[in-house]
Amino acid sequence: MAEYAKYVDVTKCDGCRACMVSCKNWNDLPAEPEDFQGSNQSHAKVTANTWNVLSFIEHENASGNLEYLFRHSACFHCKEAACVKVCPEDAMHYSELGTVVVNDEKCVGCGYCVQNCPFDVVSLATYKDKHGKEYKKAQKCTLCTDRIEEGMQPACISVCHTGAMEFGDRDKMIQKAEKRLAEIKGKFPNAVVYNPPGVGGTQTIYVLAEKPSVYGLPENPKVPTSAVVWKDYAQPIGKMMLGATTMAVIGAYISNKIFYKEDEGDGGHE
Amino acid sequence: MVEMNINRRQFLKLTGATAATLAIVELGFNEKEVYASSKELKIAKSTVTPTICCYCGVGCGILVHTKNNQVVYTEGDPDHPVNEGKLCSKGTTIRQLYTTEKRVLKPRYRAPGSSEWVEKDWEWMYERIAKRVKETRDASFIEKEGGIVVNKTERIASLGGAALDNEETYLLSKMMRGLGIVYLEHQARI
Repeated sequence: MAEYAKYVDVTKCDGCRACMVSCKNWNDLPAEPEDFQGSNQSHAKVTANTWNVLSFIEHENASGNLEYLFRHSACFHCKEAACVKVCPEDAMHYSELGTVVVNDEKCVGCGYCVQNCPFDVVSLATYKDKHGKEYKKAQKCTLCTDRIEEGMQPACISVCHTGAMEFGDRDKMIQKAEKRLAEIKGKFPNAVVYNPPGVGGTQTIYVLAEKPSVYGLPENPKVPTSAVVWKDYAQPIGKMMLGATTMAVIGAYISNKIFYKEDEGDGGHE
Repeated sequence: MVEMNINRRQFLKLTGATAATLAIVELGFNEKEVYASSKELKIAKSTVTPTICCYCGVGCGILVHTKNNQVVYTEGDPDHPVNEGKLCSKGTTIRQLYTTEKRVLKPRYRAPGSSEWVEKDWEWMYERIAKRVKETRDASFIEKEGGIVVNKTERIASLGGAALDNEETYLLSKMMRGLGIVYLEHQARI
């Protein structure tokens, strides 16, 4: 299946926040009123019920003037996602479209994905069952996998009126980003295309006007080494060891039985 | 030996049932297909009604998806020439105009000097408005000003909202001019 990607050109964004509302509207997410943050930004960060947030960054540019930098922030849908790597229940998985989604039925709410996400975009939502008992499940942007499957665009992209966001074939989106970068280099000399290789590239291709760190993004995000060590080495070896131990126990049990019987045969009743 | 009295029909039924059982047991039950059909797209089978956004004078086209008389989703109308499927953040919230608990469903009247809102029916409202308009117009009507016929009233103003379309604003202005109202304002002026 073709690989898709979300293209976000922050230089075209006018900060209207329609993408935020559109996401809530499609996914039926409740409102989360937050206190004034001291800036024009409505929510501090992406949460379990607010899957994308438009960040307003007050940046001082080279000529010493204030520049508002907007960024539509949501799950990046990494090609080698840390959350998928660390999930012990295989709840966090890649869909057939390559998007990173949570299987609600498998998720136990352990929060490993929340701790390991290099972009801090996964959170736990708290629900109540019919007995009033609370339980948690990881929630985040699905890149509107349900819409894509039906041939529609993700909700946030379908609403964007400036053309700052587009959705399509990943290679084409990368090409588009490179082309746009060349166009804006004159105005924004620090501009970059953000598609970090440390997480295998992402399905969100950003054209950023400044360095990623200005936008609060890691310059070189990676799947945490501890997660790789644990999942790719420690766990398989551990499983092997467990197998070996089990076999040893069974072997010991059988041999003991034999010896016991022999003892019994030799010694007779006491 | 047990004699088997099976006619042709029974034989076919039996073999059919065996084949079906085997098909399920042997080939397995397609879990994915069942999952896909159980999680239907939320706007599948919804009734789509086009409308115009009521919030500002731009007049963006909106598609309202309804199911069982409930609004399940609203989105920009891709075929509308004004917005081509796009919407602003406020226009995107339009579903809440219907779903919110704060929505006023019946006309309410607050008498002069009163602090209480009283629910009234539309008939009562229309009559009340007509009566008050007539009273004010009759009391303030100016026929001539500086020797020129003006036939106007300066005590009534008309404010139109963004939800009004071209034809409605036409009718409204005709009616207001007919009453002699000169202060006509519309939100589309923004």
